[in-house]
Amino acid sequence: MAEETLVKKFKVENEYGIHARPAALLVKAAGKYECDIFIEKDGNKVSCKSIMGLMTIEGYPGSTMQVTTSGGDAREAMNEIEELFVNKFFED
Amino acid sequence: MAITVKTLWDEGAEKLSLTVIAGEQYLDRKLPETAMNRPGLALTGFFQYFANQRLQIFGLAEFTYLKSLSQSEKLKRLEDLFEQQIPGVVITRNRKATKEILDLAERFKVPVLRTPMVTMDFVNECTVLLEKLTAPQERVQGTCMELMGIGVLLRGDPGIGKSETALSLIERGYSLVSDDVTEVRLTSRGNLACWANEVTRYHMEIRGLGIIHVPSLFGVAAIRRQTELDLVIDLKQPTGDEDRTGVNPEYIEIMGVRVPCITLPVRSGRDMANIVEVAALNQKLKELGHDAAKELDDKIIYRLTRGRARNG
Repeated sequence: MAEETLVKKFKVENEYGIHARPAALLVKAAGKYECDIFIEKDGNKVSCKSIMGLMTIEGYPGSTMQVTTSGGDAREAMNEIEELFVNKFFED
Repeated sequence: MAITVKTLWDEGAEKLSLTVIAGEQYLDRKLPETAMNRPGLALTGFFQYFANQRLQIFGLAEFTYLKSLSQSEKLKRLEDLFEQQIPGVVITRNRKATKEILDLAERFKVPVLRTPMVTMDFVNECTVLLEKLTAPQERVQGTCMELMGIGVLLRGDPGIGKSETALSLIERGYSLVSDDVTEVRLTSRGNLACWANEVTRYHMEIRGLGIIHVPSLFGVAAIRRQTELDLVIDLKQPTGDEDRTGVNPEYIEIMGVRVPCITLPVRSGRDMANIVEVAALNQKLKELGHDAAKELDDKIIYRLTRGRARNG
């Protein structure tokens, strides 16, 4: 598998933003992959595999997050994370 | 669960200071109702309502009343009472059983017991004991520990490290209730009481060592006879699907009682005892009304939604 780095931006569209439950979903999804996954907002960059990191990034509803995946399975990881953002973390 | 007078005798002879004074061979009579009856009213000849399925308690009142009767009347009334197929008689305050009672006990095959206890104390103690003897009971697979007053049941597949974890917890100063097989009783208050099988009590099996006797090695502080179950911890091979926040706690049902249940992934080198200890502490905190995961989540949601208002 080729090493690659992907960058994508997502809007936080669920009602409460990235609180504990969405953070847990992101960490669980990211934890399945070998590649490095980071989430960035307003210059704050945290690992998507860290629940405490995700809870400090202030993912307000309506804010935009930049996700970077890099490594062998970067594409699969990005797809799964995109699923979560697009589906509003399966909330409501 | 129906018990016999013998069950009460076996379990309660010491605690209730009971002795059998007549009808010892009839101790296996069934005790259909696990309650007691003062037969005073029946002794006056009133049998329209008589709790004949219960243990009959002869206290000061009954004896004083019998004394007021003529000899023939006394015999007649006692005969009427014994004819009701009562399961057993207990005489309190160490009163001497009259000859009539002893004869009737033989004739109607009724065991008669005696205790020096005051009637009210006996009834109270005996009620508690009977309730204990008849409460629903189950045997569950798991090792039970008590940590700072929190009863924890460790479950998991054989070889996952239940006993090893328990051993580390004992070394940290906590107490073993049972290893691998735990008896659970549903108490009248709706709690689950856990204890160990009499035979294997306080023994543990450690792979590579075999059987050890915990109080001999670690002292009596390392054991506890019984504890109330507060938390179930399932030790599992890691799946990657473990709870990461604790915001939505899980529960399991044991005999219809909901018990918080945590699944802990076991990896080699991970100090399970430490984690079980923290889980028990956290459970204690939750019972005090302080749920760290939920409070942090609420705080974050508050900050995030306030941010929404600010950002338009």
